[in-house]
Amino acid sequence: MTETPPPVAIEAAPKSLIGRVSMVWAIPFLALAIALVVAWQSYNARGPLIEIEFTDGAGIAKRQTELRYRDVSVGIVEDVTFSPGLGSVVAHVRLDKTVAPYVDAGSTFWVVQPELTTRGISGLDTVLSGVYIEGSWDSAIGPERTRFKGAVEAPLYKSGQKGLQLALRTTPGGTMTDNSPILFRGIEVGRVGKARISQEGNFAIAEAIIYEDYSRLISPSTRFWETSGFTFSVGPTGAEIDFSSFATLVGGGLTFDTFVSGGDPVSDGTVFEVFADEPSARNSLFNASEVETLEMRVVFDSNISGLAVDAPVELSGLKIGKVQSVSGVIDADAFGDDRVRLNAVLSIQPARLGLQNEVTPEAALRFLSGRIQEGLRARLASASLLTGGLKVELVQVDDAPPAPMLTGDGIVPIIPTTKSEISDAAATVEGVFNRINNLPIEELLNSAIEFLDSAEAFVSDEDLRETPQDLRALLGDVRGIVTSQDVQDIPVTLNAAIGRFETLLAQLEKDQLATRLAAAVDAAADAAKGVTASVEGVPALVTELEAVAASARALPLNELTTQLTALTASADKILGTEAARQLPADLGAALNEINATLAELRQGGAVANVNATLESTRQAADAVAASTQDLPALVDRIRRVFDQASATIAGYNKGETLSRDAQAALRDISKAADAMTSLARMLERNPTALIRGR
Amino acid sequence: MEIAGQTPDIISARDLGVVACNRCAKVWPAGRQTCTRCGSTIIARDTKSLQRVWALWLVGLMCYVPANVYPMLQTRTLLNVQEDTIVGGAIELVHHGAIGIATIILVASVVIPLAKFMAIAFLAISVTRVSAVSKHQRQRLYEVVEYIGRWSMIDIFVVAIMSSLVQLNTLAAINPGRASLFFALSVIFTMLSAQAFDSRMIWDLQSKPEGHSAND
Repeated sequence: MTETPPPVAIEAAPKSLIGRVSMVWAIPFLALAIALVVAWQSYNARGPLIEIEFTDGAGIAKRQTELRYRDVSVGIVEDVTFSPGLGSVVAHVRLDKTVAPYVDAGSTFWVVQPELTTRGISGLDTVLSGVYIEGSWDSAIGPERTRFKGAVEAPLYKSGQKGLQLALRTTPGGTMTDNSPILFRGIEVGRVGKARISQEGNFAIAEAIIYEDYSRLISPSTRFWETSGFTFSVGPTGAEIDFSSFATLVGGGLTFDTFVSGGDPVSDGTVFEVFADEPSARNSLFNASEVETLEMRVVFDSNISGLAVDAPVELSGLKIGKVQSVSGVIDADAFGDDRVRLNAVLSIQPARLGLQNEVTPEAALRFLSGRIQEGLRARLASASLLTGGLKVELVQVDDAPPAPMLTGDGIVPIIPTTKSEISDAAATVEGVFNRINNLPIEELLNSAIEFLDSAEAFVSDEDLRETPQDLRALLGDVRGIVTSQDVQDIPVTLNAAIGRFETLLAQLEKDQLATRLAAAVDAAADAAKGVTASVEGVPALVTELEAVAASARALPLNELTTQLTALTASADKILGTEAARQLPADLGAALNEINATLAELRQGGAVANVNATLESTRQAADAVAASTQDLPALVDRIRRVFDQASATIAGYNKGETLSRDAQAALRDISKAADAMTSLARMLERNPTALIRGR
Repeated sequence: MEIAGQTPDIISARDLGVVACNRCAKVWPAGRQTCTRCGSTIIARDTKSLQRVWALWLVGLMCYVPANVYPMLQTRTLLNVQEDTIVGGAIELVHHGAIGIATIILVASVVIPLAKFMAIAFLAISVTRVSAVSKHQRQRLYEVVEYIGRWSMIDIFVVAIMSSLVQLNTLAAINPGRASLFFALSVIFTMLSAQAFDSRMIWDLQSKPEGHSAND
């Protein structure tokens, strides 16, 4: 136990460094290497830092708010600081390296927040997740930039979004709803962005985008109009309320249509006008542009009460513009005193002037300047008698003093004035009213009422009402008489009688002519006497004959009587009938034959024997009367005819008075009868008259 | 103290020329290469022990840095996401008035790991030069470090349990942060480092003045 243990074999220590170093050192080196690699990798993968300036923080939180592109996170806000001077908030955003090259000078950024609009709710996810920054850039790599100014709201055009980019402009005085959808047939096909007012302030203009799928709907003849709000109309079909959609009712909207087919597709940046409604949009297709108006001033010395904004400006009665504003002006330098003058600014629409080539304010100004040199002057005139409203008239004044016109940039040219032509409408109208007031209207009305009462009583009188019926019946009677067969038969009968008379004469000529003729004439006279007696003996018949004559008068009966009176004249116009017309010819022929006979007689016999001849003629007539029964029969027949006629007329006419014409006709017939009587007497007294034709 | 005071000089096995098997603890004469009982190699002194200690200690320390820099716990609720580092979480708890819990977290996650690093480093240094601390105290320290090492994982347990329990989809969710992995690695490497330390070396240096001539 005390002895020491055998010496321990001592291992040699010529070991190399590797032998002495433990392999475990590989672990820290490995860890270090991994750490370095990871660090380098993360550093390498780190994108650039960009700064986006916003007016306010709007919920941007460091290390939490993301930058998104097409709703994919491409960066994160590393820090939020203020710009120097605390003017704005700067978000420092670490970009992903993959998108960093595309974030160039053309990029835009805006903060997406929950938004409640009439079109719906957008950005709802940001309620829970917090806001995020949306970026928009195109797919081209452009010049690098690290500092950006954030937009207040989402831009209308997002880079990379395809569509037709337009500009929409209001008509002068028109309105437009911006930030609203563009609807076509109720479908949203585009959007209008934020509108801005033009520098002159005479219209508003807004960018608009038509989505790519619908851009073919737009052509140069496309017209846009407002569909905001609703229209309410009361018509024959009842009350109508009309609005295109609830969204446009509340938030407004635009729609468009292409009224004229065809047309090339439009290019980006084309400017369209927005009209108030569809009819004006449709009409505008045929009108020239009315956007660019020419402003001119008129300074009136006189009282212009009644001249209101929007009062018409007329050139030769044609409205070429309107009064844009009315204000007072004091300019001692220009006018020489300190009086307040009235300054009316007119907006003149070049299109209304009918300029042919270029419809621009400049051309209109040139035109009007020329006219003003020639004496065109402005004056006030009454636009309405009742309201006393005024209008501005441009009239030609031939001997107008020359008025220089100032033109140039920023100067509104002045149209010189002439004496106004304002009728004192109010006084005139008052006078008119006074006179109207003084009219005895009540008396007039009373008289009128009375008159109308009488008229009513008269009109409603039973007798008056029957009058037309009587008249009609009367006319019917007359027509019946005229058209009655008997009346029409009279000429025929007469004709037949004359015919017989002719044959009788011919027979007379054959036999002892003169004697028989005288006898015949005597017989005729007797017959005529008989006729007269019968006529005179029956006064009623005479009265009724008048009726016959009335109808006969319609036929040319009076001519017959005339012819009969003359006897030598032809009887061709006695009646309108053909037979009657032939009658005078027959008579003529008969007389000619008588004449010829007499001529023969004159040739054959001596004048001295006339008395004897006449004596024999009388005898002959007696013989005629005795031998021929035809003549009394003729007279009988005539009387029968008359009887018949008068009976007929008596049947029709029950003592009513006939028209004057009818009476006249009857008188004529009566005369005819008288004439026949006198003829008969004449023949009786002087039978030679018949033979001699006198 | 008591031990150190009582036995200023301790006779080590090495002084007696024997060596114990590391595995079955059978005592063999020094110089023996293999234990015939269990078959394992007998190593009197692990010459590379310190190297392993330092290497693993270094890895543990390297892992401890991101374990404190990165968030340990990611708490996602409906409205926001909160990521807390170990110290940040503890400070937040203090702000909420939970000082006790904050203390526990700070002790378990910061104080103890740091103390372990320092203890191992101290032990590793102390075996190479004369130390003012007695061998018994150092031995006690080593045992404490080795014992306490496994409990350092308590943070990881908390994170693991909470992550598995609180998973309510969008409403609320707790996920382990990146720091938890590094913290776990740090703990593992410190434990390995402590185990790699050959505690017999604590006793060697004291006999060096004597064995100095014998060895060299």
